[in-house]
Amino acid sequence: MKKKKYFNYATFIAPTMVLFLLVYAAPVIVLFGSSLCNWRIGDAITFCGLGNYMDLIFHDVSFQKGFLNNVVWIVLQGTVHVLIGVLFALILASRPFYWKFARTAYMIPSIISSAAMGMLFLCIFNAEFGMINSIVRKFIPGFSHNWIMSYDTSFLTVTLTWLPYAGITTLIVLTEIISIDSSVLEAAIVDGADRLQLNIYIILPLLKNVIGTSVILEASGMLKKLDTIMLMTKGGPGDMTMNLPMFVYRTAMTENNFGRANAAGVMLILLGCITVTMINRLFKVGEGNG
Amino acid sequence: MRRLLRIMANLFVTLILFVSLAPVLWVFISSFKSNTEILSNALSLPETWSMKNYVTALTMAPIISFYGNSVVVAVSATVLNVMVLSMSSYVLARFYFKGRSALKGLFGMALLIPAAALLQPLYLTMKNLGFYDKLTGLVVCYATFSLPVSMYIFTSYYLTIPTELEEAAYIDGASFYYTYWHVIFPLTKPAMATCGVLAFLGSWNEFQVAMTLTSSTSKRTLPIALLYFKSQFASDYGAMFAATMMVIIPSILVFILLQRQVVDGLVAGAVKG
Repeated sequence: MKKKKYFNYATFIAPTMVLFLLVYAAPVIVLFGSSLCNWRIGDAITFCGLGNYMDLIFHDVSFQKGFLNNVVWIVLQGTVHVLIGVLFALILASRPFYWKFARTAYMIPSIISSAAMGMLFLCIFNAEFGMINSIVRKFIPGFSHNWIMSYDTSFLTVTLTWLPYAGITTLIVLTEIISIDSSVLEAAIVDGADRLQLNIYIILPLLKNVIGTSVILEASGMLKKLDTIMLMTKGGPGDMTMNLPMFVYRTAMTENNFGRANAAGVMLILLGCITVTMINRLFKVGEGNG
Repeated sequence: MRRLLRIMANLFVTLILFVSLAPVLWVFISSFKSNTEILSNALSLPETWSMKNYVTALTMAPIISFYGNSVVVAVSATVLNVMVLSMSSYVLARFYFKGRSALKGLFGMALLIPAAALLQPLYLTMKNLGFYDKLTGLVVCYATFSLPVSMYIFTSYYLTIPTELEEAAYIDGASFYYTYWHVIFPLTKPAMATCGVLAFLGSWNEFQVAMTLTSSTSKRTLPIALLYFKSQFASDYGAMFAATMMVIIPSILVFILLQRQVVDGLVAGAVKG
């Protein structure tokens, strides 16, 4: 009887287990193992200890720049991006007449996929016919600037394809605000609080958990940004817009240096764990509101 | 002071709406212009609203096939994910056995591993399984990427279903499988909808794995199609705009139609996942 019970459980867990083994477990074992090896296409695989890591950290300029950019993007996304989303949610929560329209409109860039956003930005920032240069030309005739591929503006342009678009944060925060017990807000209004005081002293403190969740979600989203960069710059010019996913892709698929690419993959996982742990500490997510 | 705040809030809203809508609208309007018009009058409306660019884009790029692939992959991955996770989460949520929390922890760890890190090992695994350049490979990967989030959503949902229902079924002599399929499964529609929306959106927009695991144009999905347009239409801007619009507009329409479900799914996914 007991055996039968375990057999039943096993049949229900097995399909998930198979998927997990194929897509996570086996690749993760290969990842860690090969990160300790010299492994290029065509060569024999040899053990090299931490050689790949040492090379990456101390000698590989592209990796260093990619890591640094990635950290900057994580910080920007966890602060500026989330702040924009929360501010927009607070404004929409006072139910101006356009709130439903604005909520939907702001979700559009998040829904159409970041590859599509990359494509749109490629068009509007184009040096010849792009919208931005055409607007500037109205004021400065003959103006031409290659926003995407010049050293001074490429980082900014690529950042702009995701930084202002915090539709998901707005959505989550707005839902949380709407679910706040209205008697709390009414009590504050009876006591003479205006909208600003209501936002700062009542609503914001109640949003601590949901904001923490958003920061984790958005910041760790930066650990997988490949599509926009692939479409717009491929990490260039130079390494100005390099990040870790792009570095892993280039090292594995173009240079076929698998050992080094996988060492960079391990660093990417570590960066993710550090990011999530730090944000959790900061917000104490899950320890109740307050 | 309050006036100033109000003005600033209005400015902020205007700015946000402008940056959200302007890129889509500008590319949409430009997609009806001829190439000379795009270069000379980038900011004006087209002289004639011509569909010529759309015809060119459709004849030059296999957009229909990109669409077909995306639909097949996203739908199959979503169904696979929901079915498989509905079963395993049921056992993980409902029954006590040795190693249960270890198993939950193991599956949950997937949340900490971005697919970008696994690029080459995943390619190697899929290639050895014979899944390289096949849609099946993408389906297997996408169904698994949503594993942890679906697990959290399903397990917390199962905990809200009273155990009396199953006990009654067992007393009536129903088997484990019968009980799950006829008593529990029909009750979990809301959780399935949430997991389904999240798994579908993730699969529909996925770029990097699709890029690595497929090579022939006939196996590419929509996000990769954009990369293809970039080289294919390098000199025909109008066709590039039209092709981009054909990728974007259906997503926007579906989102507006199913807004309620999508919004509920995204919120539940963020809070539980």
